[in-house]
Amino acid sequence: MTSTSLFVPSGSRLLRSGFLLPVLLVAIVAILVVAPLARIVLSTLTPEGMAAWKAVLASPLSANLWWRPLFNTMILGFSVASGCLIIGGFLAWLVVLTDVPGRRLIGMMAMLPYMIPSFAAALAWGTLFRNSRLGGSAGFFETSGLAIPDWLAWGLIPTAIVLIAHYYSLAYTIIAAALSSVGADLVEAGQMAGAKRPRIFFGIILPVVTPALIAATSLTFAGAVANFAAPALLGLPVRMQTLSTRLFGMIETGQNERGFVIALLLIAVSALFLFLSDRLVSGRKAFITVTGKGGRTKRFPLGAWRWPLFAVAAAIGLLTTIVPVLVLAASSLAPQSGALFSNWTLHFWIGEGGGEMAQGQAGIFRNPVLLDAIWSTIRLGLVVAFTTMLLGLALAYTIVQRRGSLLATLLSQLAFLPLLVPSIAFAAAYIALFGAPIGPFPSLYGTFVLLVIAASAHNLPFAVQSGRSVLGQISADIEESARLTGAGLIRRLFAIIFPLAIRGLFAGAILVFVKMVRDLSLVVLLFTATSPVLSMVAYRYAAEGFMQFANAITLVILVVCLAASFLAHSLQNRVQKWKES
Amino acid sequence: MKRLYASAIAACFVLPGLALADDLDGLTPQQLLPLAQKEGSVTVFSLSSRIAKVEAAFEAAYPGVDLIGLDMSSTKQIARIEAEQQAGVHAVDVLYIADTPVVFTKLLEGKRIVNYVPPRVESELEDRYKAPLLTQRLSTKVLMYNEKAFPDGSPVSNLWQLTEPEWQGRVLMVDPSQRGELLDLLTEIALHPDEMAAAYKAHYGKDIEIEEGLEGAGEQFIKALFENDLILVPNSDVLNKSVGDANAKNPPVGFGTYSDRRDNEKEGWALQVANNVEPANGILFPAVLTIADKAPHPAAARLLIDFMFGDDTPTGGAGFEPFNVPGDYATRTSIAHHPDSVKLGELKAWTIDPAKTAAARGRIGDLIITLQ
Repeated sequence: MTSTSLFVPSGSRLLRSGFLLPVLLVAIVAILVVAPLARIVLSTLTPEGMAAWKAVLASPLSANLWWRPLFNTMILGFSVASGCLIIGGFLAWLVVLTDVPGRRLIGMMAMLPYMIPSFAAALAWGTLFRNSRLGGSAGFFETSGLAIPDWLAWGLIPTAIVLIAHYYSLAYTIIAAALSSVGADLVEAGQMAGAKRPRIFFGIILPVVTPALIAATSLTFAGAVANFAAPALLGLPVRMQTLSTRLFGMIETGQNERGFVIALLLIAVSALFLFLSDRLVSGRKAFITVTGKGGRTKRFPLGAWRWPLFAVAAAIGLLTTIVPVLVLAASSLAPQSGALFSNWTLHFWIGEGGGEMAQGQAGIFRNPVLLDAIWSTIRLGLVVAFTTMLLGLALAYTIVQRRGSLLATLLSQLAFLPLLVPSIAFAAAYIALFGAPIGPFPSLYGTFVLLVIAASAHNLPFAVQSGRSVLGQISADIEESARLTGAGLIRRLFAIIFPLAIRGLFAGAILVFVKMVRDLSLVVLLFTATSPVLSMVAYRYAAEGFMQFANAITLVILVVCLAASFLAHSLQNRVQKWKES
Repeated sequence: MKRLYASAIAACFVLPGLALADDLDGLTPQQLLPLAQKEGSVTVFSLSSRIAKVEAAFEAAYPGVDLIGLDMSSTKQIARIEAEQQAGVHAVDVLYIADTPVVFTKLLEGKRIVNYVPPRVESELEDRYKAPLLTQRLSTKVLMYNEKAFPDGSPVSNLWQLTEPEWQGRVLMVDPSQRGELLDLLTEIALHPDEMAAAYKAHYGKDIEIEEGLEGAGEQFIKALFENDLILVPNSDVLNKSVGDANAKNPPVGFGTYSDRRDNEKEGWALQVANNVEPANGILFPAVLTIADKAPHPAAARLLIDFMFGDDTPTGGAGFEPFNVPGDYATRTSIAHHPDSVKLGELKAWTIDPAKTAAARGRIGDLIITLQ
């Protein structure tokens, strides 16, 4: 990877002058993000592309092709981002800063929803709220005699609720990482000065974690506007289109130029919001909380509120994790997808093939490629998480160090975009760009390297956003003193920045890992090996109509993600021994 | 400069290959085999994961030729082949792909693929299945109803019924602005204005009036269908569950896939095709086999396509059997259609012509967007 070369010549004068790193980063971001984006822009400047711009923006089609979907998309984006912030932030505060009972359990449940694909949550919603509009078997509430109106069964409201239930864990992960760096000294100083609890919360804690809140907002916003499964499942029956369903439809029906135009416009609109939120952060003083001294966290006693708040948190966890997981599990056990809770069988997990069930297909644990697939999935996830975080950390470091400068604004804007570029366009651009040999470099077509590069670029926003929110809190003093004693960049990174920022870094790495392990479209376009990854195995089963197998694989993916996050958790506790109190 | 040089070198390798390709087209499988074995492998992008079964059968029949099958949707195949060829990469040999209107405009007209008809089965195929693209089998998007709820047969016998109050909010379709096959279905309806007008007259006893801005009775039907609260769903799974649920009292009808009927027992559905519908119940659309331009293994590619047309038995043998399901139709006449399904000749569906559909599709796509 090119990014590793950043840290090699630690003694070089250029590096110490702080000039080479930004230049290198700009070059890398230009290749990884700007080049594919430029290719997409170029493809919309052809005659067909110009016709597409006109069709989208100024034609009888624009109302239904752009404006109404834009309106729906923005409502979804804002309501999901604020919902996620409230729920994710509440849970993070509860778990990190209070003495609520069952903190570990709540924390674990709050991590889960993002690991469950959003279609599972939409499916769960349907299982409960589906009404008679589509015919077929009604949901739980209608069957028990409660009429569900269309607005509650289909459209914007259920889509927003399902997306909040899915993405709040993203917000939780990032905010919790930032909150854990609010040292006891700060809070105790406030207490000694006689500040009351609300004052401490709004005066100390909230300002300190603002970068994390902004990071969480932008990621959940982007997630919500780019999500396809939930609006498609819950919106189409009442003809609600969002930009993501429009985008998907345009590409799926061969009208790529229109799809790209919509994607570019969506990127522009989102970038505008990101720019405004960036302004919001860089406009005020940064608060340094990681000072290298007194790293304990102070927990607030909740008193009489301990159990009621626990109940609220547990209810959120139950509804957003246990219910979707149950629906997924049931649909991997029920022979008929219309009757999820009857005639359960383990056939789809461990059954022998050749019988009447499932056209003679054996259960997934008898599928010879499963073990291979699990292994290559984990490998892919780990490698991509590692490279993405490495690059993301370097970017976040530069952005934070040069906060407010044009360079920082530019880098942070560019590093955010990949999340909104449709992966099919992203992958196609990568094949076209790196498929041919460039200068001394051989063609990367069909190599694991190309997949890793593309995936790292595509997941960059997670790494940069989560890295930024933590790095922003680390005191420059520590680094300065290390620099004075002659420590090079590498030394400083590994001895100071990594250990202090480890929580945020791992939080980002987990998000990247999960995204990579679940994501299909990027992989299927860039993969040429015959040993598939798990998401491809699930796709194969689903394409043949065997949803039970596909859902069983989804549960396997969930277990892999959970195991990875446990591992990361125990690792970070080992590194930050001083946190134990 | 370097690139020019590289492509010059590539041309030296490819040009003889091109000359060779013309010769290869006339060879029998027996003559192709040694050449294919020399090439060693063949890579295929497949719309169906059943390619895994073909792989096992192919490698057993022709040892020494390794089949590498990658299953991905037609859209992804098109995106990938375009990007690869732009980068000068020629890694895939065979495409097994549907979505033929897009394949026709983006790949065939762009000379990214070449058509090949195996001489062994040439005489058994109708001309329209041999050009512009070689069709291996036909799938359907036709009107389906619930045979448990309507035991006396289809409740719909004329497409225009679907625009009446009785079927308001009770016709389902996967969103045609999301899926190509459904867009093709509506396009085909628009391409038959005379038949749609005749069906209108047969049903209402008067001539149809066409609104301004619409062209023909087909487009008028599409508008009326959308205005009658046509319900759009995201995928065929949702559609089948809604239309087919065996316990439903007053289920809707929907445009779906005939071959999904084979899952009736497994899923508790009662899906049945509404065949007796004026002027047609939907479309038959092709799944084609085609060779990528400058395929790295041209002989093995031809051998594989020949193999996937099956042997001379009524089931088509190991090469075709994975695709021989009731409700899908082999184009090769020696392969018998499944006894449980309506015969191909008796199915009242229009067969799409990729070139014509491709030309008309954009207009219908736009019309649908304005109707939503």
